[in-house]
Amino acid sequence: MKDIARQSMGIKVESMDLLNGQIKMEAHASATYLAMASWCEQNGFFTSAKFFYKQAEEERGHMMKIFEFLIDTGGNPLSPEVTGINHDYSSIVDVFESTLEHEVAVTKSIHNIVKKARELGDIATERFLDWFVLEQVEEENTIRDILDMIAVTGTEGVGLQMIDNQVANWME
Amino acid sequence: MNVVYQSTYYTLYQSVKERCFYVDFGQKMVRMSLCQLLSLRYKVLSISIEDHFDGDLNRHGFEVLMLCNKEHLFVLNTLEVLDLKQLVDHSFVALGLSEERETASI
Ligand SMILES: [Fe+2]
Ligand SMILES: [Fe+2]
Repeated sequence: MKDIARQSMGIKVESMDLLNGQIKMEAHASATYLAMASWCEQNGFFTSAKFFYKQAEEERGHMMKIFEFLIDTGGNPLSPEVTGINHDYSSIVDVFESTLEHEVAVTKSIHNIVKKARELGDIATERFLDWFVLEQVEEENTIRDILDMIAVTGTEGVGLQMIDNQVANWME
Repeated sequence: MNVVYQSTYYTLYQSVKERCFYVDFGQKMVRMSLCQLLSLRYKVLSISIEDHFDGDLNRHGFEVLMLCNKEHLFVLNTLEVLDLKQLVDHSFVALGLSEERETASI
């Protein structure tokens, strides 16, 4: 049987399903960071707000990267439904701790897709995700550094304002 | 044209000459590209079959399925939906685009 299907599509449908799930997750991250930016603006953390606007944009970039990969491989990318965005945070520390939690969850999800792609022998998907694996190392590291800085600075007195000012160091 | 997979009610054909696929729905033969086949897969696998066994969630046990950018409309009962899910799963395995044998979930 001549392989029209393979000629039209370069990855496995299981990989496609997982990547569509990842599109959703990146969109959710983008929306979550926008909610954090809103919280920061309303609570006087203006530098942190800028940081989260930028993060929100980056996450949308990640989403589009996967979207375009699915197009390039002849797949069917799906525009994600994004619901359940949390807007409530008890403090700026809570905001950054939630960010780290979120990034760790994203890392786990990407590692899971890499493992599945490997099982399926889907080398294209596996190699495509290399960039994401390294990107996650960087993103987790950034947030951990910010949390370390918060721990050193402390939240007493002018601490909170100093924390906000120092976030600028992580925005190139 | 050769048969890719045949379920109880439906058959998927591949036409090498036209570089496309045909799904025989019984009363109608529908021509599809692989993209449209992927879209069919998504729609069919997204149907919550559990709802068919709950009188409140799906009162009459029917699904309306629109295909190929609203060109075709099908009304399917529970058995037909289950059979179409089978067709989709086995077809993608037969086409070499899927490894799984069990019903995939989206
Ligand atoms: Fe991301
Ligand atoms: Fe991220």
